[in-house]
Amino acid sequence: MVQRELMAILEVFFFPGFLFLFSLAFFIEWFDRKLVAKFQNRYGPLYVGPKGILQPIADFLKLLSKEDITPAMADKVPFALIPLLMLTFSMTPLFCIPITGSSALISFEGDLIVVMFIMTLTALLSFLGAWVSTNRFSTIGGVRTGLQMFGYEVPLNIVMIGPAIGAGSLSISGIVEWQSRGVWFIMTQILGFAVFSLCLLAHLQRVPFDIPEAETEIVAGWLVEFSGKKLALIRLAKNFELVLAASLMVSLYLGGPTGTLLPNPLTFLIKLVFCTFILSNLRALFARYRIDQFLAAAWKYLIPLALLQISLVEVSLW
Amino acid sequence: MVILMAMEDELLESLKKKPVTLRFPYERARPEDRMQAKVTWEIEKCIGCNLCVKVCPSNAIKLIGRGRKAEIRYHVGRCLFCGECVDVCPTKAIQTTKEFELAFTKPEEMILEFRR
Amino acid sequence: MVKAIDIPFGPQHPALEEPINFTFEVEEERVVDVKIRLGYIHRGIEKLAENRTYHQNVYLVERICGICSFAHTTCYTQAVEELLGVDIPERAKYIRTIFCEMERIQNHYLWLGFTAKAMGFETLFMYTWRDREAMLEVLEMISGKRVNYGMNTIGGVRRDITGKMVERMEERLNYLEERANYYKKVCTKERSILKRTVGVGMLEPSDALNLCAVGPTLRASGIPQDVRADEPYAAYGEIPFRVVTYDGCDVASRILVRIDEIIESVKMIRRALDGMPQGPIRVKVPKNVPKGEAVSLVEAPRGEDLHYLRSDGSDRPARLKVRAPTLANLPSLRKMLKGVNIADIPIVIAGIDPCLACMERVILVDTKSKKGQAWSGEELWRYANEWYRES
Ligand code: SF4
Ligand code: SF4
Repeated sequence: MVQRELMAILEVFFFPGFLFLFSLAFFIEWFDRKLVAKFQNRYGPLYVGPKGILQPIADFLKLLSKEDITPAMADKVPFALIPLLMLTFSMTPLFCIPITGSSALISFEGDLIVVMFIMTLTALLSFLGAWVSTNRFSTIGGVRTGLQMFGYEVPLNIVMIGPAIGAGSLSISGIVEWQSRGVWFIMTQILGFAVFSLCLLAHLQRVPFDIPEAETEIVAGWLVEFSGKKLALIRLAKNFELVLAASLMVSLYLGGPTGTLLPNPLTFLIKLVFCTFILSNLRALFARYRIDQFLAAAWKYLIPLALLQISLVEVSLW
Repeated sequence: MVILMAMEDELLESLKKKPVTLRFPYERARPEDRMQAKVTWEIEKCIGCNLCVKVCPSNAIKLIGRGRKAEIRYHVGRCLFCGECVDVCPTKAIQTTKEFELAFTKPEEMILEFRR
Repeated sequence: MVKAIDIPFGPQHPALEEPINFTFEVEEERVVDVKIRLGYIHRGIEKLAENRTYHQNVYLVERICGICSFAHTTCYTQAVEELLGVDIPERAKYIRTIFCEMERIQNHYLWLGFTAKAMGFETLFMYTWRDREAMLEVLEMISGKRVNYGMNTIGGVRRDITGKMVERMEERLNYLEERANYYKKVCTKERSILKRTVGVGMLEPSDALNLCAVGPTLRASGIPQDVRADEPYAAYGEIPFRVVTYDGCDVASRILVRIDEIIESVKMIRRALDGMPQGPIRVKVPKNVPKGEAVSLVEAPRGEDLHYLRSDGSDRPARLKVRAPTLANLPSLRKMLKGVNIADIPIVIAGIDPCLACMERVILVDTKSKKGQAWSGEELWRYANEWYRES
C-alpha cells in the first residue's frame, strides 16, 4: 500500500511527472533552436553545456533575475496571474499524454475534450494578457490572437476528433491503445495529420502564423509588456505548448510510445523529436502570412479538408 | 507556377553543411593582406614635417614640438584607419598594423603617445 | 464605419533600422493617410564639409552612408574633378565602375535579407546575408575594408586590382550569380512570399514620375531610367548593360528588379574586368580648387545620388549639398503607403530601401509660434559662429 503511494508520488514528481516534463520542455526548446539554426546554416546555442544544450535553462534563469516591470496602466492582478495560469494550463494536458505505457498518469473517457478545452484556454489567456497590459502593440497582438483562434480552432478540433472516431474512444490513452494493435492513424488519416500540423503551427504562434507576435510589425505583439519573471514563465509555457503539440501528434497519429522494439519512453522521445523536426522545418520555410490571408486560407482550405477527413473516416467505418 | 515550400531543398542541404558562422573569439578569419587597422610610428624616422597631421581626415594626429624633436600624439578613437598618413609620410615613419580589436576601458588610454 | 485613428510608427521600431517617424491615419485595417517626420539623426555633414579640405572631405562624404559609401565618394570626387578640370586615368574609371557594381551587389543582397525579415522570413534573411559575405570578402581583399572602403580619392583610386585578385573575384562572382538565380526562383515561386508582396504598395508609373521616384523603386514601375545609362560616368559609357525594369509596380517587382540588377551587375563586372586597360590609377591634383560650381550624378544602389559643390577658390568647399536617393523616394513612399494594410507597412517601407541617415534634413521651428522658417546661408553661418563662441 505504502509502496504504491510512493510510486505514485515518484511518478508525479519525477518520471514521467514534473521533473521529466521540465527537462523535456527545455530539451525541446534547445532542439528547436538548434535545428532552425542548422537549417539557416548557423550554430544556434553553442557554449552553455555540450553543444549548448543548457542554453534554454540559462536563458530561463537569466530572465528570472531580470527586472520585472508592471505598466502603470495595466490591470495588476490579472497581469501577474496570467503567466502562472499559462504555465499551468500548458502543463496540465501533458499529464494526459501516455509516455511510459499505453495509459497516461491521468486518463479517463473524454480527456481528449479536456485537452482541447485547455488548449483553447491558453489562446484565450494570451488574448487576455494582451488586453490587461494596455499597450497599443499588445492590443493589436491580442486582437490578432483572437482572430487567429477563429481560424485554426475549428479545423484543429475537427481533425483531433478523427482519431477518436477511428479508435472509438474519446480518451488519448484509448486512442494510443487502439493504435498499439498495429495501425497508426497517420497511415489512414494523412490528410488529417497535415491539417493538424498546420493548425498546431497557428496555435503555437510560430512562423508562418506568428501573426500575433510579428516582431517587425507590432514589436512582440501580446507579449510586449511582459518582462522578467513573467516573461520567463510565459516562455516556459510556450515550450510546454510545443511539447504538448508534438506529443499530441505522436499520441494521436503516430501510435504513442508503443509500436517499436525500443523501451516505451524512448520510443516516445524519438517520435517526439521527429514531430518537433516537422514543426521546426515548417517554421524555417515560410514568410509570415497576413491575418486576413490566414483566416481566408483557414476557412477556405483547412476546414473543408478537415471535414473531408472526418467524412472519410466515417465512411470507412461503415 | 506557384509552389509551396520552395526552399525545402536548400534547408535540407544545409543540414549537412557546417555552419558558416565564425565563432569569433575562438576562431578568426585570416586578415586580408591589404587590411589596415591601427597605425604606429617609428618616431626616430619622423622629421616633423607635419604632412600627416594635415592629411588626416579626422584630426587624429597631433605633433608636439618641432622638427626632428617632434613627438606624435595619436588618438586611436578618432582614427578611421584610412592609411592616408602612411601614404603621405616622406620618411616612411608610419606603418599600419593589423591590430583591430581596439577596445579600451578609459578614454585616456585611447590617446597613444610616441616619444623619442 | 470606424473613426480613423492615428497610429505612430517609430522613431523606435524593430522594423526600422534608423529613426524616422510615421503617423498613420488608419481606418479599420487600411491606412488612409501618412505623415512623415524626419530629423532624428541629422548629423550636419554638409556644414562639417565646409570646415575641411577637399581631400579630407572624401572620407567625410564616405561616411554619409555605410552601405552606398562608394557611390557618395564617386559622386563627390567627380564634382571636384570637374571643377579642377582633371581627367582621371582610364584604369581608375574602370576600377570605380567595378566597385560601384560590387557595392550594388552587396547592397541588394543586404536589402533582400532586410525585406525578408520584414515579412518574417528569417531563413531567407540568414541566407542572403551569408551570401553577401562573399561580396564583402572581395571588397575587403581589394580595398582592405568591408564597408567604408577608402578607395576613392580626388584624381583616381588608391588601390589597384591585381591579377591574382581577379581569379578570386571570378570565383565569388560565379557563386553570387548562381545564388541570385536561386533567390529569383524562390521569390517568384514561394507562395508565402508572393502572398505578401504581389499587389502590395502599388506605385503607378505616372505617380512614380510625378513624385520623382528614383532607382529600383522607379524601375519597378516600368520606367527605364538609370543614371548609368542616361548620363554615363566612370566607364559606364564603354560597358554595355541592360537597364532592368519590371512593370508590376508592387513590392514583388521591386524584389525582382533588384535581383536582376545583381545578375546584371555580375555580368558588368566581368565585362569591365575583361576590358580593363593597363596604366596608372591616379593623377596628382592641386590642393586648391578653382572658383566654380559643379553638379555630379551617380546611380547609387538605392537610386540617383546628387552632389552639388561650390568652390570659392580655397582648399575647402564653400558649399556641399547632398541629395541622397531615399529623400527623393519619400514622396512616393507616402503614396505607396496609402491604402495598404497595417501588416504590410514594414514591407512597403522596406521596399524603397530606406537609408535615413543619408538623407536627413532639419527644419528650424519656433516653439512658441509653431512656425517653420527657412534660414539663409548668412544667417546659418552667423548662428553657427555664435553657438560655437558661446560653448
Ligand atoms: S589612418 Fe587615417 S585617420 Fe588614422 S591617423 Fe592616419 S590619416 Fe588619420
Ligand atoms: S608625415 Fe611622417 S615625417 Fe612627417 S610628421 Fe608625420 S610621421 Fe613625421
